[in-house]
Amino acid sequence: MKNRPPRLARRIFKLLSGSADIDDLLGDLDEWFYHHVRTHSLLRAQLFYWKSVLSLSFSYALTKRKRDVRISPYSSVFTIDIFGNYIKVAWRNLYQHKYFSFLNAFGLAIGMSVSLLFISLYSFVSTYDNFHVNKDRIYTITSKQQRDVEELEYSTAPHLLADKILAEFGGVNKVVRIVKAYESTVKTEKEDLPAKAYYVDPEFMSVFSFDMIQGNPNVLAAARGAILTRSLAIKLFDSMDVIGETIELLDGRTFQIGGIMEDHPNNSHLSFEMLLSYSTISESKLRVEDQWSNYPKQYIYVLLKDGAISGDLQNYIDGIAARTYSNLPVKVTFSIQHLESIVMGRDLRSAIGVKWEASGFLLFGIFCSLILLPACFNYANISIARALRRSKEIGLRKTMGGVSKQIFFQFITETLLITVVSLGGALLIFILIRAEFKSILVAGSSLDLSLTWRMVGMFFMFAITTGLAAGVFPALHFARLNPIQALKSKINTHGSSMRVRKVLTICQFALSFGFILSLIVFSRQYRYSVNFDFGFEHSNTVAVHLQDVDPDRFKMAFTQLAAVKSVAFSSGLLGVHSSFTWVRTGANDSIEVAQLFADPNFISTMNLQFLAGENFRNEGWQGERHIVVNEEFLKANNIDTPIDALGKIYRVDGKDLEIIGVLKNFHYMPLQYPVGKFFFRMKPSEFAYANMRVTSMDAFDMFTQMENEWKRLPTEKKFLGKYFDDELDEAYSTYKVLLKIVGFLGVLAITISLLGMLGMVVYTSETRTKEVGIRKVLGATVTNVALLLSRDYVKMMAWAILFAAPITALIANRILSGIQYYSIELSVFDVIFSALILLLLGIMTIVFQTFKIATSNPANILRTE
Amino acid sequence: MKPYLGEFEELVLLTVAAVFPEAYGVGIQKDIEKRCNRSISIGALHSTITRLEEKGFLKSWTGGATTERGGRSKRFYELTQAGKSAVTETKSLRDELWSISKIKPALK
Repeated sequence: MKNRPPRLARRIFKLLSGSADIDDLLGDLDEWFYHHVRTHSLLRAQLFYWKSVLSLSFSYALTKRKRDVRISPYSSVFTIDIFGNYIKVAWRNLYQHKYFSFLNAFGLAIGMSVSLLFISLYSFVSTYDNFHVNKDRIYTITSKQQRDVEELEYSTAPHLLADKILAEFGGVNKVVRIVKAYESTVKTEKEDLPAKAYYVDPEFMSVFSFDMIQGNPNVLAAARGAILTRSLAIKLFDSMDVIGETIELLDGRTFQIGGIMEDHPNNSHLSFEMLLSYSTISESKLRVEDQWSNYPKQYIYVLLKDGAISGDLQNYIDGIAARTYSNLPVKVTFSIQHLESIVMGRDLRSAIGVKWEASGFLLFGIFCSLILLPACFNYANISIARALRRSKEIGLRKTMGGVSKQIFFQFITETLLITVVSLGGALLIFILIRAEFKSILVAGSSLDLSLTWRMVGMFFMFAITTGLAAGVFPALHFARLNPIQALKSKINTHGSSMRVRKVLTICQFALSFGFILSLIVFSRQYRYSVNFDFGFEHSNTVAVHLQDVDPDRFKMAFTQLAAVKSVAFSSGLLGVHSSFTWVRTGANDSIEVAQLFADPNFISTMNLQFLAGENFRNEGWQGERHIVVNEEFLKANNIDTPIDALGKIYRVDGKDLEIIGVLKNFHYMPLQYPVGKFFFRMKPSEFAYANMRVTSMDAFDMFTQMENEWKRLPTEKKFLGKYFDDELDEAYSTYKVLLKIVGFLGVLAITISLLGMLGMVVYTSETRTKEVGIRKVLGATVTNVALLLSRDYVKMMAWAILFAAPITALIANRILSGIQYYSIELSVFDVIFSALILLLLGIMTIVFQTFKIATSNPANILRTE
Repeated sequence: MKPYLGEFEELVLLTVAAVFPEAYGVGIQKDIEKRCNRSISIGALHSTITRLEEKGFLKSWTGGATTERGGRSKRFYELTQAGKSAVTETKSLRDELWSISKIKPALK
């Protein structure tokens, strides 16, 4: 065996030395090695080699040699001057190819704009609850209920558990119990003001870090104490100096104001306008067992002692849950959740305040990348395609001594410059769509998306990352070019990379196609829902919320109006909402039935059709006696013909009611729900809405008259009247939101893919001018040439449609039937129509450029060579 | 100010002058180790040589690749004029001190 110096040591030494000249040092090492092999053993020699490498690696000799290399003219290290030079050259290049630069910047700006929304949203949401001083030690307790096969997770937990934790668990510092008020409306002289309220323990203010302005948080210890936020105090009293005043809630209870606090920051998941003392809540009348299984609106927050381990608390409550629920029918388990993970954490039911759905966030992120990635890809695609144009420049640079690294940095700088420019554009779009975006989100009002320095920094980082992602591929491509081939313009742009690019382009068009198709389908679904035949008359009908007005007085006043043809009363709006009740069908059996209370005029006003029997009677009402049912009700009770049903008696809410009429099925609920068992009942005390058939006259005029009439009634409430059609429209406003989002994202996706195609077309037509010239000389017509140039793109679009159509159709059908019980079916025409739109848009993009080349004079083209 | 020469620097300079023309890394190191009977690390030696080169006391050139060194070249060193005067000055300083000192050099 030949004795060789240890290779690993040598490699390490070489690596550490970088490009420094260490030939003589390596020689010395070898010489010593062979010397030691002769005089000592191989092992000694190897050990000595290692020792020497170690000693040299940290010696001044090596440091100095490395430093010398760095200032040589062939160095590849960044200095400010070189960087400045890169920027200058990049700027000149971008300026020279203005058209392509614009296309690239525009595409990237569009691609980044949505991501900016995502980043700003994320950066805001991630600051939730970070202002609490004790945030590291605050936990909330969530519960999971096992009901039959269903598992439901709630943010709530029984307050009995809070008492136990405080009494038995050692690691706890403070426990706050919170009850979210069902409805809390404050009475004032002018009107009633709804205000969000929590009933809380006095520890609330010391566990959480909210700022008091005046007063003492201890007022919450006494019964009927209240702390108001600044804005509510000003809303109610127009002043902040209100300590000692009393407020009265709608249910008659009064509270004494003992303190004023600052409004809580926007990024607090607890969201309230006033705090009421917990002791105000009367003792629960439920049995202890029921309190453990029935705890709506009860929340527990725990502040642990310094150094206490959260796992201990989890173990403790696990133990309690196991013991407590062992003999109860309901099974519940508890788990702790850290304060800062509430907002973005698991999707739980009945959140106390603001809750962002993690799954929604993920979806949004996916959409953002679906928009951003094509934009990056387009940039890379166009840049590489133009390699031919710039190959001479690169070849020359390499011949003059430019190393790969320098070319790489040159192109990366170019990309970074263009992304920074497009960041400006993206920011502009961001500012334009910000307000709209906030209005779409449910929790948008508490959202603060204003630009901060932190956010600008994040945007900038994002732009740089995008630039790197988009630029690294073309930059590597250019850096690897062989200078000889590059100078001879013999670069092979057709190959495996071409296939990848084609596939990616097809993916983009597939995405665009998907958006177009969903847009068409959703808008059709929206129109379908609004124009649906609900089985009753809803045009020219005005619905008025009665509030506290007596129905009879209302009728007397409003029938005088010329526009009003008839007035009918109901407990809810037909086709929008209804309530449910239980009907006894046997000794132990009962079925759930939807119901609406209505007066005799209602059925005729709404034009519902009788199959048998008759309407409620108009003369003097003597308590509830009759019901009018629908076909489904008969089916559920096994009654074959409508006639048979008449006279049958059912027990409803402790009363025996007789069927006097049977109606044809109609849609009493929105189209999300199937038509089920339903009946009308008559009970004037339940009436909440007046439904008026009106003549189709000037709407504005009519509403002014109605409002004037309303003002004469003994009420101080505002007139709440609307066309029935508008109410129905509102019930389907989800589609409008969906259309808006899909439409916006679709426009972005389509624009990006068309921009990408435009860039490619402009490029190919520029490089194929010579070919076109020769073809024309040999007798090709304008049409021949135009077809030749655009054939590839049309083919790609066709492939895209072929791929995307079945996938989109599948998803769209799933979503449509998921949202709504009565939905449209996706038809072939939808697909064809969206395919046509995509093709049309694509052809419009390329036609101008193609014809410019196709109609050019071959003599001019060929002469330039 | 006169350039300061450390003890090891002086030793290296004198050895380079002594083993010339075979003054390259291994040659210098072997000579010092043999003559002074002390083991020096290769890193320390090359660092000192580098410093002396920086101060302008040494100049170097490459050459003399042998198979023994894996075909790698040697870097030979030679004292510059400044180097020679630096060691001379140190010597004269020492001589002067010796002559006025009360120690008699022990004769073997």
